[in-house]
Formats: sequence, C-alpha cells, structure tokens
Amino acid sequence: MKNHRGNCLRVDLSHHRIVRDVTPERGMGGRTWNSVTLLRELKSGIDPLGPENILCVATGPLTGSKLIATCRFIASAKSPLTGYLGDSGARGFFGPEMRWSGHDQIIFTGASDRWVYLWIDNGHVEIRDASHLIGLDITATTVQLRDELHDPDLQVAAIGPAGENLVKYAIISCNLARAAGRTGMGAVMGSKKLKAIVVRGDKPVKPADPQRFDEACARFQSVIEGHNEFQARRRYGTTRIMNSLAKIGVLPAYHYQSAIFKDLEKVDADALRRNHVVKSKSCYNCNVFCSRYNYTAASEGEGPEYEAQAGFTVKCGNSDLELGVGVSNAVNRLGLDCISTAEVIGWLMECRQEGLISNAEIDGIDLSWGSREALLRIPEMIARREGIGNLLAEGTRHAARHFGPGAVKLTAEVKGLELFSADPRGIKGYALMNAVNSRGGDHYRGEPMIELTGDEDLALRRVGYREAAHRLEDKGKGALVNYAEHLGLLSDSMTICKNISCCMDAMDFEIAAEAYSSLLGEEVASDELWEECSYAGQAERDFNLREGLSPEEDTLPARFIDHPIPDGPSAGTTINIRGLVKDYYREKGWKQID
Amino acid sequence: MIECDVRICTGCRMCEVVCSSHHFGAVSPALTRIKVAKLEEIGLDLAVVCSSCAQKPCLECPSEALAVGDRGQILLEAELCNACRTCVEACPIGAIGFYDDLPLFCDLCGGEIACVIACPTQALSFREDYREDSLEAFLTNEGSAGQRRAQYCRARGEALRRSWQSGARVDS
Repeated sequence: MKNHRGNCLRVDLSHHRIVRDVTPERGMGGRTWNSVTLLRELKSGIDPLGPENILCVATGPLTGSKLIATCRFIASAKSPLTGYLGDSGARGFFGPEMRWSGHDQIIFTGASDRWVYLWIDNGHVEIRDASHLIGLDITATTVQLRDELHDPDLQVAAIGPAGENLVKYAIISCNLARAAGRTGMGAVMGSKKLKAIVVRGDKPVKPADPQRFDEACARFQSVIEGHNEFQARRRYGTTRIMNSLAKIGVLPAYHYQSAIFKDLEKVDADALRRNHVVKSKSCYNCNVFCSRYNYTAASEGEGPEYEAQAGFTVKCGNSDLELGVGVSNAVNRLGLDCISTAEVIGWLMECRQEGLISNAEIDGIDLSWGSREALLRIPEMIARREGIGNLLAEGTRHAARHFGPGAVKLTAEVKGLELFSADPRGIKGYALMNAVNSRGGDHYRGEPMIELTGDEDLALRRVGYREAAHRLEDKGKGALVNYAEHLGLLSDSMTICKNISCCMDAMDFEIAAEAYSSLLGEEVASDELWEECSYAGQAERDFNLREGLSPEEDTLPARFIDHPIPDGPSAGTTINIRGLVKDYYREKGWKQID
Repeated sequence: MIECDVRICTGCRMCEVVCSSHHFGAVSPALTRIKVAKLEEIGLDLAVVCSSCAQKPCLECPSEALAVGDRGQILLEAELCNACRTCVEACPIGAIGFYDDLPLFCDLCGGEIACVIACPTQALSFREDYREDSLEAFLTNEGSAGQRRAQYCRARGEALRRSWQSGARVDS
C-alpha cells in the first residue's frame, strides 16, 4: 500500500533542538509508525532510562476525525520494565488535539539537563521550563498548566511523581485519568526530564471524499449501536467484566488463589454504580460513553475501569469498594499503572500469607488481605520511592528476587510485565495472548474476546475455526490470537478505542480500509492493511529478538502451569501453554522451540 | 435556543464534531459554534452555545453587522463585519467562535439542528419557544473565551455538585 506520510517533530532534549520531519514510509499511523521508527533508529542494548532511548508519541491519519472514538495517542520506547519494546495508548482528548495541531508523530531523543515541558500551539513549538511543576501530581500539573496558559481547553499529557522518580511502571496521562499505562512510558519521559507535552491545535481534519467517508462513519456507528452489548457497555463500561469473569470462574481473588470472591456483590459493577458513580464520562467523539465519574467522601475522579476496580478489591482481598475507588483515584494522580500496582500489592499480600516476607521487611505495613494501610500507603511509597517503595518501584520481577525463590514463584508476570485481573487458565486465548505478545504479560495487544462469545459463526468468519469461540478449547487459538493481534495493531494505528474496535469486534479491515481510503484520497484495500499489520507485528518481534528475547520466554508464570484453578465454575482447569504457543508459532510461520 | 443539561453531558464533544462537519465538512475546534467546557478536576462537562440571552452584549457591534433572527439566533451580515472581535469578547459565556476573519454564531443549522440530533445522551435539546435566558450573573466573567466558558460551566454545575455531596448518584 502507498503509505500516508504525516508530519513529524524531532525534539532533541539534550540540545533543546527541534527539527521537522515526516513519519516513516511504513506503518499506518500510531503504534506502527512508532515501532518502525524504533526498530530503525534505536541501538540495541541501551539503557531504557538513559539518554539513548527514544520516546515516540504518535497519532494517526484518522485521529480527530468524524470517525467515532478515534481518540488515542500511542507512546512507544524501549521499556524499562521489560527491556523489550514498550508502548501504550491513552484515550481521552490529547490525541485529537495533537492531530489538530498538525503533528502526527513526535520523536524525543536525548535527555534534558533540567525539567522542561514541550509547548505546541499549532505551528509554534517550544521547549519551556517546568521546574515549577516538579513534585506536582497529574491533576495539579494539568490544572496549573491550563491556568497559567489561560486556556482551560489545552490538552496535557503529563507524568506524575511516579514518572519523575522513574518508577518502572509510571504512566503518561491525559485528561487526568486516561493513561498510556503499560510498560513504563512515564518513566522514560521522566528520564528525559520531560514533565509534560502541552498542545493546542485547530487545523481541520478534512476527508478527501466526504460522502464516502461519512458513509464509512455511519456504517461503523451502526455496527456499534447494533451490538448486543451496546446498552450494557453504556451503563457499566468495563466494570461489568467483573461479573462476567466471576460467572465463568476466572476471577483472581486473593492474588489468583481462588476464583470466588465472597463479597463480590459489594465491589461489582452494580455496587459501584449504586454507591459511587455520579455520571457517565466519555472520550472524544464516542457514542458509548462507557467511562464514569466517581465521588466518595474522601476523593473523586474519573474511573475506575475494570482493572483498577478489580485490582484494588478482588485481587487484594479487599471488600471495601470505597477504599478501592480511592486507591484508583490516588494511583491516577500519582501516575502509576493501576495493573502493575495492583499486582505488586496482591503479590506482596500473598507473600506475607506464605510467611515469605516479614512486616519488618516492608516497613511495618500491615499486609493482611484487604489491608487499608497497605492499599493506601504502598502506592504513595512506590511513587515517591520511599522505604520499601524504592524496591517495589522496580516491578515484581525485580522485587521478588530480593525476597527469594519462594516469592519469585508467586509472581504473575510475563517478560517483566505484570498480568491483568483475570485467571489466564480458564481463558485459553487470553492466556496465549499474555504468553506471546510483544509487550509481555498483557491482554490488550488485541482482545481474543471471540472466545467469550460462543459465537461459532463469528469465529469461523474471523479465524477459520468454530472451536475458537469457546474459551476452554485449545483448537484455533493460535489463529485467534494472531487475528486479535492484527486487529489490535490496526486499532493502535488508527488510534481508535480498542474497547470498541476489539472488545466489541466493531471494527474490521473492510470498514478501516473504507475510512482510510476516503479520508486520505488514496485507495487502500483491506488485505493491504492486513499485510501492513503483519509487517509491523514482525518488526516488533524483530525488535525484541534484537534485544535478546528468547522464545522460551513466550510462556506463562509457573504458578498457572503447575496448578489447576482450585475452585468455582472452572475448577480443575489446567493449561497446556506449550501446545498453545506451538499452534501460534505455526500460525506465524516461526521456527518452533525445541 | 439550544440547552445543555449539565447533569447528563458526558463531555464527548460529538456536538463539536458534527457542528464543524455540518458547516465546514471538516473537524476542528476552531470551526465549531458549540464548545464543550470540561472541568475535569471537578467532573463537570457542559456544551456551551449561544443561549439567545436577554442581554445580547454581542449586539454592541461597531459596524452593525449583527441582528437577531426569528428563532433567536444571531444573524451576521458578513460584508459589514470588520473582524474586530468585539462580539467574541463581549459574550459572557464564550459562545462565539472566530475563524477566517469572521465570528461564528450558532445558526441553528437553518433547520434540523445537527448537534441536538447527534448528542448520544440527549443532553442537548432545542426549545422552539425560546425564553430569553438571562446571563446577567455572568456579565462579570473574565479572561479568554475558554475561561469564560469554564466559569459558566462551574456555575451551572454547582447544584449538581451539591447533590453529589448529599449522596445523589447517577441512577437516583
């Protein structure tokens, strides 16, 4: 396909120099532009938190257009948490504003010797002093910048104390609670002494063929509105996942020790809505508005999404939802990834239960299940690297080594990236996705959600196997994960919300090709988009192999392989991860592991 | 007049997208006649658009380019406009845009109103029997148009925030 070349800014933070360039000639936007850039320009073996690392921030050709939910930006760099390719996307409104400023990709190289922020006002770009913002959390940073620049409509992507202190799972956040959360992109930003990117833009996004583009937009909208979960997603957003996972027995209660949480009804989607949700919230131009604003006696904020909701309740054995919501708000302000943070705390609690960690070793903090003290204090200590927080800021893989082999056995991470709030043993497609994808322990490269639908016709249409529609089936999962990865790459390139494109299966390559072609005025076929995703996916794999990735790392944590799910609706379920990985390698045409 | 219900506006800005698409065939915050004020730190969102207010300070146009239409909308005689921005600065709620040397007023789409139709939560509605909204309390609003929209949003959301404090939740 003839690739669209967008505008690129190269910002050399070592010398405070800015140069204009164009985006790579491969890739469709967003993540694929970034991955291609990093494969070409980053030297292998460099320190992810050193000045040699490159931080790419990109939107795509469709960002900020009329197409629903084209809201994201993608941040990519070598990950300080995994040592492999890191990238993460955030929803909200920053991506569209960056696009309207006339910039499609920003490439940060080097590191500043003092704290700065990047100011973009359409064509005017400037590196400015940020010393007055240091120590401020994400909310305070954003509010301060909007105040002092006299423009409450500015979009800000910032790091909090966690990013400043190089916590390896620090986030880049926009709109106070929309995070590029995974793989520590906030730490890379902090290592460059870049506190924020502030953008104002008003350049129109105008389709080349308005009528055809409108038709593609309308078609996409009707697929979303016709989806059988449309109303439920409007009402609950991702929080309804808790009840769905409980029903099939894959909740990670007490850090994966049980699939049953006794106080489910105190922390589930309805409890949240009844007690703490005051209104619905939305990202850019979305008809699902699946987010929500919470209000409690102690704090308020947007969220939580399922991962924070379940991570700070079920996973940590906490039945006090108000406490969990408060931790979600705090973690957003501090600039920590909620998934990794919840995993750190849950894992610590299990270590304490097993007698592997004494209270003294963790600064006297009470680590019993659901401990209020642990949930409130540990995120603060991690973000500020205080006491034991300094070790925990390195992630569970590193911290576990400090506490010995027993503690290592209890971790739930792949390639250094902590797992989500679900038990992979009972959802084979997700298990495989966690084992093989480029980020490490991650379900969100693409969502193999078809295995949760039971829709055999859909499975056959998308991946060629009816069996792939069933979560406990191994057959067809290699093809399913490959398809889900492609759709994830497409979504991360179009910068479209993956809850809609992947989780609702609302986007496909035909609609995407229509939207691309009519917006850009260049004919792109759906199979060309598929091929471009294959190319970018292989580029990401090559990046990781160059960094020393061994195929043996394409697996799950030992705790899931050696033991069946102990109780609940999926009791007794084990996982043949080697067989699944083999199937996936076959699908990819990769050499099998001996 | 178009009204926005602060209780159910989610801040998605679809109204801006369809407004600029309808009038210009393109999307940009500079092209929209309705603008969403978002006070993220206190959870308030409000689409701000001309409310056909009783005061109409925008009509103090030095070149007399403005008049009031039969549905309460402001009519611009483009040839008379000298791009002085007096009207833009006069609007206490920052509801007047400015693009390509012309002020942008909500023209109610000359019929079916795109933003009202598109709003996913029906937070936007049109009252044909428009009452003349008083913006007396906001005439002292200060700062940039965006800041005036924010002040308006804050004031319009005060009662909502009080209700949250006394325990009201989304379904109550």
